Amino acid sequence: MSVTADGFDDLGGQSPPSDDLAAAEYVLGVLEAAPRLAAEARIASDRTFADLVSAWERRLAPLAFELRPVDVPSRVWTRIQERLGWASATPASGSVVARSLNFWRLTAGLAATAALVLLAVDIVPRWNAAKVSPPSLEAQFTHVTTLARDDGSPGWLATVDVRRGTVLMVPVPSAPDSQGRAAELWLIPPGQAPRSLGAVSVDRAHRVVVPATLRADLTAKAVLAVTLEPAAGIPHAAPTGPIIAKGAIQL
Amino acid sequence: MEPDIIERRGERTPLDKLLKDIALGSRQAFETLYRDSSPQLFAICLKIVSQRSEAEDVLQEVFATVWRKAAQYDVERAGAMSWLAMIARNKAIDRIRSQPQARKSEPLEMADEIADPTASPQRDAQASADRERLNECLKRLDDRRRSLIRAAFFDGSTYEELAVRIGSPLGTVKSWIRRGLMQLRECLEQ
Repeated sequence: MSVTADGFDDLGGQSPPSDDLAAAEYVLGVLEAAPRLAAEARIASDRTFADLVSAWERRLAPLAFELRPVDVPSRVWTRIQERLGWASATPASGSVVARSLNFWRLTAGLAATAALVLLAVDIVPRWNAAKVSPPSLEAQFTHVTTLARDDGSPGWLATVDVRRGTVLMVPVPSAPDSQGRAAELWLIPPGQAPRSLGAVSVDRAHRVVVPATLRADLTAKAVLAVTLEPAAGIPHAAPTGPIIAKGAIQL
Repeated sequence: MEPDIIERRGERTPLDKLLKDIALGSRQAFETLYRDSSPQLFAICLKIVSQRSEAEDVLQEVFATVWRKAAQYDVERAGAMSWLAMIARNKAIDRIRSQPQARKSEPLEMADEIADPTASPQRDAQASADRERLNECLKRLDDRRRSLIRAAFFDGSTYEELAVRIGSPLGTVKSWIRRGLMQLRECLEQ
């Protein structure tokens, strides 16, 4: 460990930190928006890294209890209930909760089915077209990458076509962002910064064309993520908003 | 499970039990969890986000996430309160990262902060032991490393912000924090 006069040494240099340090930096919260997003994508796709993050959360969490609790205005509870769609403020009975839970699960299931049907509709014409020159057997089958939301429910189903350099994005329809932000799709190659693939629809299936310079990064090790961003300026150089769905590419 | 019974006995339902019930869709358990944990989580959000109305907004997001993700809570991986605290920190940090104007630039106090042992009483002996141990290990770091790690944790400041706040080169700040973190891990694992 060589330390120069101004205290600069190997741990502050350009070389990427070890996985354990990267996990510690993420938990501590010192990362700028883009590397933070890359770390979040990695947590979703790399179990070993996720375990390192959990270990650092266990180590540092006790600090959070040094802060004195602060009274929360009652309007916050009201707004949370509104946000969760609990119209009346009176607590519901268990059966009503169970019913509404089932309703939403059913709705999500139907939406996912509808998305798969759309996907099938999209794939069939391509298959027919390919009959002109017979496709190889594996070309008839495509893997679907699920971009999962926080709660594990599917947000988008993505089909990556490496040969053509396209990604078919099929959303499980969701409400537009309340703050008017747009959904932006990112390709995150392992250990690298996210690269924008442009806007992605929250309610319609469409094909995203991957820029030629990024096609080599469409590998099974890369992650696709969707963030919420200001609509102006897409594609952005780096993400700033929260990840709303992500998944490791399946080929 | 009625909250009034819990209060009459002067006991609190353990948070992990509440999370289990929330995962099954119990709004009552959710309300109890909110009552028990929101002041601590609000303190965490407010320290990072500074602006009160923004912090309230983040707190709403935190609890909406808790409602959706309760089923993913894994008691083997984290204590319930730590899990909640980390959701609050992550949401608050995500919020300030998306607002370039929210960057903190006030000079960093290099004075030795003393942990306030009366701040929030821990629910169980394990949690207080963990806190004491972390404090012991933080005390062993040199002042600079400790101040930087604490400021990063509480304020959610990035390396770049911290470098500006203490007026030192970025590489130096990275090196101090990384060394401090490795030293901390070593001490905690002893």
